[in-house]
Amino acid sequence: MSEPSSSWCNPMAVSTLGSGNLRDALKLPPGEDKNEWLAVNIIDLVNQVRMVFGVLCESECTDSKCPSMTAHGRQYTWTSEGTLLNTSAPQYIDLSLTACQNNVDDENVFPSEIGKQFPTDFEERCQAIMRRLFRIYAHVYFAHVNHFKAIKALAHLNTSFKQFVLFANQFQLLNKEETEPLREIIENLISFS
Amino acid sequence: MGEIAPEMEISQYTKDKASCTRISIESYYSKRVTQCAERENRLKKLEEDISARGLSDEEKEEKRKIHHSKETDYLRLKRTRLTVNDFESLKVIGRGAFGEVRLVQKHDTGHIYAMKILRKSEMVEKEQTAHVRAERDILSEADCDWVVKMYYSFQDYSNLYLVMEFLPGGDMMTLLIKKDTLTEEATQFYIAEAALAIQFIHSLGFIHRDIKPDNLLLDARGHVKLSDFGLCTGLKKFHRTDHYRNWPSTLPPDFISKPFESKRKAETWKRNRRAYAYSTVGTPDYIAPEVFQPNGYTKSCDWWSLGVIMYEMLIGYPPFCSELPQETYRKVINWQQTLVFPSDVPISIEAKATIKRFCCEAERRLGNHGGLDEIKQCPFVKRIDWNHIRERPPPIRVTVKSIDDTSNFDDFPDEDLTWPTSTLIRPEEQPGRRGEFVDFTYKRFDGLTQKMRYSDLKKFQQAKKNKKGGQQGTSD
Repeated sequence: MSEPSSSWCNPMAVSTLGSGNLRDALKLPPGEDKNEWLAVNIIDLVNQVRMVFGVLCESECTDSKCPSMTAHGRQYTWTSEGTLLNTSAPQYIDLSLTACQNNVDDENVFPSEIGKQFPTDFEERCQAIMRRLFRIYAHVYFAHVNHFKAIKALAHLNTSFKQFVLFANQFQLLNKEETEPLREIIENLISFS
Repeated sequence: MGEIAPEMEISQYTKDKASCTRISIESYYSKRVTQCAERENRLKKLEEDISARGLSDEEKEEKRKIHHSKETDYLRLKRTRLTVNDFESLKVIGRGAFGEVRLVQKHDTGHIYAMKILRKSEMVEKEQTAHVRAERDILSEADCDWVVKMYYSFQDYSNLYLVMEFLPGGDMMTLLIKKDTLTEEATQFYIAEAALAIQFIHSLGFIHRDIKPDNLLLDARGHVKLSDFGLCTGLKKFHRTDHYRNWPSTLPPDFISKPFESKRKAETWKRNRRAYAYSTVGTPDYIAPEVFQPNGYTKSCDWWSLGVIMYEMLIGYPPFCSELPQETYRKVINWQQTLVFPSDVPISIEAKATIKRFCCEAERRLGNHGGLDEIKQCPFVKRIDWNHIRERPPPIRVTVKSIDDTSNFDDFPDEDLTWPTSTLIRPEEQPGRRGEFVDFTYKRFDGLTQKMRYSDLKKFQQAKKNKKGGQQGTSD
């Protein structure tokens, strides 16, 4: 098996949808509550990943093709009640997205009633969701970039990841060590904005 | 330079899904930037307003606080999860192939809506998840007279829900069943209004592909609005081209051996009409022939459908109707021979010529090149006042006694009006669990602003103030 094409590292190949002012659209608006802004954006990011992976990539990422959740220089394992599980990539991603969705649907974490307060550890919850979403991007960029080119959706993948990175940087929701597998593409995406 | 990867085998299904998902993602980013600009404009307008009024600094700050609080509440309300329990089900007013339409009332506002309910299992089973968001996207973008307005969309484990404005005038199918045929003057009016609606949809970049009388709704004043954009397009068995792959496309024997009188034909059509609309099988009466060919189709296919509707309005049945959908298909494919006008039904030369110009090859079809501007030149509709048609009284009066009057709809007296509890229980395996229906939720801004009244905001702020006071901290 050959190493996946490395053309995604080429700056000229990092195409996006020409989403000007995406950075501005992610900044905290004047007078806005920070947690409320985190909440509405996190939900958007979860939905974007579900569309990018769940609709565009699910037929491509299978147990046989991706027997483990791999990224550049990483292999992720799922921890369930203290036990490490060796899952395939689709299983890992399904568990991960389900966990994210359960958080988003939890009225005690993402309250939807007017007047209800966010939990005191809300920012940590957001960071956990961002870590899970990042790993999905890391796997997709590692294993499925050619598929996105084939279905003419590479610009869409890049744009949704760019939104993800800009938002994470804006509010310090990911640490540098976690994002190492995609450092080069992140640098290229950000420098182009 | 890396070696180029071999061309991957990609199914047509994956290509279609990718195409629709790309559009959804592009739409999201476009809206994202738009929403940011709209929010900035609202704040700018507030600042201009409070400057012009010569308020004190304290009053200005109070105005800013109220504004920021409204914006924060709007963000939260966007995340509020609607369920069927936020609505009271008043009556079933329509049934479709994959669900039904109910008259509902929202508990907190009392507003009346039409709620369309679609079963997810039908969507996934028919491998048409790529189409599932089309109606939602069109309705959320459209804000004009020609398209039914949508206020909310949400889902549960079993169904998708679209909450739309209620149009008490009923639909064109019901009107035709009541009237049998329309006068040429009435036909001119409704065809012109339908053409304006279709042009609007095309200008948004969509092809409807399922234009038919049941999708032409009438508002309280009797004017046309278009509904049903693609959520079910292609789902009905006889609307899918693969169903015809092994069928002969020669002239049907029906055409030769059974030349019905037009009156008997109209009666047969009328008798079967409701069953066709409710059937998951359907019939290709209104579908343009190129939709069945492998070469693909364009927006032009909607103008063909309009021609078929025009024929039905004047003659009493669509031109290719048959006892069996297979025969209808063969008539559509052989339209050069089968598009005929019965000698016993009076119809003007202009009307015939117009129908023939709608129902012909796509390249020569009326509307194919110039769209609405081309249609306006047609002699049949030359007397239409295109700029003011919506302000004119319609040719057939719609009688509506109240905002929830359903007398222009069929009755479904045995329908159970309760919300089934099973839709709220999480099954082990849910249709669409792989993300096919993600991001279906939508709330229109004015739908939300109706809910957040000033008095509620005052109460909310008072509660906030009391809570802060109780914490013994300094305010702000």
